Amino acid sequence: MNWTLLLPEIVLGVSGLIAIVAGVIPKRDTTFPVALGVLGAMLLAAVLVIGQGEGTAMGGQYAADAFTRFAKLLVLLGAAGGLVLSLDWNEKEGLSRFEFPVLILFATLGMMVLVSANDLMSLYLGLELMSLALYVMAAFNRDDGRSAEAGLKYFVLGALASGLLLYGASLIYGFSGTTNFDRIADAVDSSAGNLGVVVGLVFVIAGLAFKISAVPFHMWTPDVYEGAPTPVTGFFAAAPKVAGLLLLARVLQGPFAALAPAWQQVIVLASLGSMLLGAFAAIGQTNIKRLMAYSSIGHVGYALMGLAVGSDAGMRGLLLYIAIYLFMNLGAFAVLVAMRRGGRALEGVDDLAGLGRTDPGMALAMAVFMFSMAGIPPLAGFFGKLYVFLAAVQGGYWTLAVVGVLASVVSAYYYLRIIKVMYFDDSAGAMDPRPAGLSVVLAGSGLFTALFFLFPAPILAAAQAAVAALMG
Amino acid sequence: MIAALAFYFFAAILIASAVMVVTSRNPVHSVLFLILCFFNASALFLIAGAEFLAMILVIVYVGAVAVLFLFVVMMLDIDFARLREGFQRYAPVGAAVGGVLFLELLMVLGTWRFADDAASLRINPTTPGGISNTAAIGRILYTDYIYLFQASGAVLLVAMLGAIVLTLRDRPGTKRQSVAVQVARDPKLVETRAVALGAGLDTIGIRRPLPPPEPPKKVEHAADHAADHGGHH
Amino acid sequence: MDAFLATPLGILALTVAKALALLVPLLLAVAYLTWAERKVLALMQLRKGPNVVGPFGLLQPFADALKMLMKETIIPSGASRALFVMAPMITFGLAMIAWAVIPVSDGWAIADINVGVLYLFAISSLGVYGVIVAGWASNSKYAFLGALRSAAQMVSYEVSMGFVIVTVLLCVGSLNLTDVVRAQEHIWFFIPLFPMFVIFFISALAETNRAPFDLPEGESELVAGFFVEYSSLSFGLFFLGEYANMILMSALVTILFLGGWYPPFAIEPLTWIPGPLWFIAKICFCLFVFIWVRATFPRYRYDQLMRLGWKVFLPFSLFWLVLTAAVLKLTGWLPA
Repeated sequence: MNWTLLLPEIVLGVSGLIAIVAGVIPKRDTTFPVALGVLGAMLLAAVLVIGQGEGTAMGGQYAADAFTRFAKLLVLLGAAGGLVLSLDWNEKEGLSRFEFPVLILFATLGMMVLVSANDLMSLYLGLELMSLALYVMAAFNRDDGRSAEAGLKYFVLGALASGLLLYGASLIYGFSGTTNFDRIADAVDSSAGNLGVVVGLVFVIAGLAFKISAVPFHMWTPDVYEGAPTPVTGFFAAAPKVAGLLLLARVLQGPFAALAPAWQQVIVLASLGSMLLGAFAAIGQTNIKRLMAYSSIGHVGYALMGLAVGSDAGMRGLLLYIAIYLFMNLGAFAVLVAMRRGGRALEGVDDLAGLGRTDPGMALAMAVFMFSMAGIPPLAGFFGKLYVFLAAVQGGYWTLAVVGVLASVVSAYYYLRIIKVMYFDDSAGAMDPRPAGLSVVLAGSGLFTALFFLFPAPILAAAQAAVAALMG
Repeated sequence: MIAALAFYFFAAILIASAVMVVTSRNPVHSVLFLILCFFNASALFLIAGAEFLAMILVIVYVGAVAVLFLFVVMMLDIDFARLREGFQRYAPVGAAVGGVLFLELLMVLGTWRFADDAASLRINPTTPGGISNTAAIGRILYTDYIYLFQASGAVLLVAMLGAIVLTLRDRPGTKRQSVAVQVARDPKLVETRAVALGAGLDTIGIRRPLPPPEPPKKVEHAADHAADHGGHH
Repeated sequence: MDAFLATPLGILALTVAKALALLVPLLLAVAYLTWAERKVLALMQLRKGPNVVGPFGLLQPFADALKMLMKETIIPSGASRALFVMAPMITFGLAMIAWAVIPVSDGWAIADINVGVLYLFAISSLGVYGVIVAGWASNSKYAFLGALRSAAQMVSYEVSMGFVIVTVLLCVGSLNLTDVVRAQEHIWFFIPLFPMFVIFFISALAETNRAPFDLPEGESELVAGFFVEYSSLSFGLFFLGEYANMILMSALVTILFLGGWYPPFAIEPLTWIPGPLWFIAKICFCLFVFIWVRATFPRYRYDQLMRLGWKVFLPFSLFWLVLTAAVLKLTGWLPA
């Protein structure tokens, strides 16, 4: 059984149960203490993840290695960041309910189960645990029509995606005779006619592509990102996306490594489509949350490029890209959450006008994130792109590399437009003072993005170790 | 032979009622056909020797889930004509996609082969060591698959939490019954006294003083009033 | 003879014979339960009760049945005809088929199946369909309100009933009803599991829509609730089904908590009485309590009913289940 290997998950799950009870029993508002407790639990889980052993547990349904450690730390970081973003926002919007941190905690638990899955069943359950919490979070501002619509849309399409994934999983089970990843790998290696498994795999990829909003399963993204409360959008763009991408990498490079020629075509197409759509569709957006939605679709495209190449270098590029994306994204959303004038939250790109004069610190940070997303050296985003493009060129995927570069150039337009609006347009008045939590997130992710080129070694080493664990 | 006959009987009804679920005009009839489906599926479980699953299927799906389903469908006034409005328009596209998918799946099915020991496992309810089907399921569920079991529990917990978050409203002004408060006795308001056996109220002096005698009034139709009172009982 | 009974046809014939042997007395018992209810209620209210038709009014049930048969069957114009006719049949049929697994004495069951408890639980949870279908098919506001109340009520109380049954099963270690009774040879379960016994009995009241939980009928505000549109034989089937369900629930209480066919003490004069008689006597006692409760308690308000089910019974039965499991585990009394 070896259940001690699951200690991070167990700790997180039990803290969730305690948080529910502790949140509901006192008669007053318990949001803040519960949120602090959840942050503490995440920190504890992170410490446990760092000290976690390696191997499989629970009859092979759970696996822990350097890759899952890398993934879980990113997920925990993204979730904690999302929680910090939401604290002040929820209070100002009258959404201060203790269930919010608890939902984030369970979503995080789902993501950890997800990235540790070594069996199709644990994969599915982790995915559902994550998604169910996300659907509720999208509709958390239930009295707002857009938020409710976002939740419903996400739920209906998410359920469809889960159905596709389950259908694929059942085909894989039917044709390989097992749900365990290790034994699926054996079955895929040994038998010649794998047509059924390939079809099942395509369905699984479709289901997962929905969760990470890769083209052509991206339709829900702009609406949900726009409708959901801003910190929730920030959380969506950070943690679940990271978890989904890493899981996709793990599934494809783990049990289905032998089928690489089959799935590479699919991933290449998804990557190309995502990059192009992310670049072109964002140009006309005036709502900054919608813009960030398209931007995140584009980033998924770049990240998938690393997966499509399939080599060690490509996987390292993918992991690095995801890690850097997480920081840039948290930082950018910290700015979005801080956009508030006269107590009213703002969402327009124009509302940033004059930020360079009214709040130079935040404007500088936003400029750093935008330059980094556009891929301007020497910021972190440049290195992320550099590694995946290099891998693509080395692997001979010229189309991917060329389209990637072109898409970056196009997308630089709308990133730079935000900077232009901030520094050169007339101000519409000062923003409300931003709370301390946001400043911490801003400063932390800003420093990381700006100074990554000075100390890239620890993250590179971690990504290298993770790739080694995954590719064996 | 009888088992095979029963299998085809129940399987045929199962498929027929599944078709009816989709094609029924009235949503309530659809749900009722769905229930018929569950029943036949449960019968198929019985034939396969999985008696525990058969009963649980009826208890959970028919006894609880479908009731709530029916509950909701009955309350909604669904206009099916409007719901089917887009049907004509999208039918060709849907049929084309479905047809392509179906052909692909047929091709996939061509590579299907049974595992070597599948034939011997088919409809074979025996469990090792002669333990009952229920005990066998319990052992597998709570030992081999405890991780998945707990994860499913977490999923359901989140579903519950979500339903509460999205729907529970504390409306101001609603009256709530607090049984504890209602039943609890406030010692300040009530005086308890020990009363000796046979002591009348006058003896311990808690009887209220009598009101001063009223002057006798002349009452008309007194007898009629008394009769009315009697009539009400 | 034995050879014939081993053939499929023989098995069928034997089963039919057994079923008739059980169902005919059962229907008779249902008829006299209505008489007994009126008589007991009358005595509790210092009245005489039925005393005109036959000695002590003993022929009253037959007079009632005759009256019901002579009436006209009315199907409301807006009703969903097929479902309207089917609903009472569902109620009545379910109340009958549940008896297939009831062991009247050791080995005296039509089908002694492995999962008898689950079968009974499943059948009793289906009872709600008769009510809800009747309420919907009648196309009447009162009937529909009654059906909705009943659906919510029955589903709510099934949950804690399920936990009670699980607690009993923990102490037995089998889902077979005969085994459940055999496990009570030395001590009836209502002694060690007294709180669960109480919860189960009250839930049984709610499950059969009996007073004080007869809100689905609620004749004072819903003018008889879900069967307001029914008349004649279809009404009669509802009536029969409801009373058969009462007997069934009493049988279930007897099997789960009151030691089935066992006498209270295994001492001389008590053991002379055969098992089935003990079983019937216990059922009669439970039925008496059913009627006694009706005579004693006013109807619950709907929110009180829901509160009792979800906020009192459910947490308590869950707690007691965990407690029982812990005690059984720690003391080593857990059945193998």
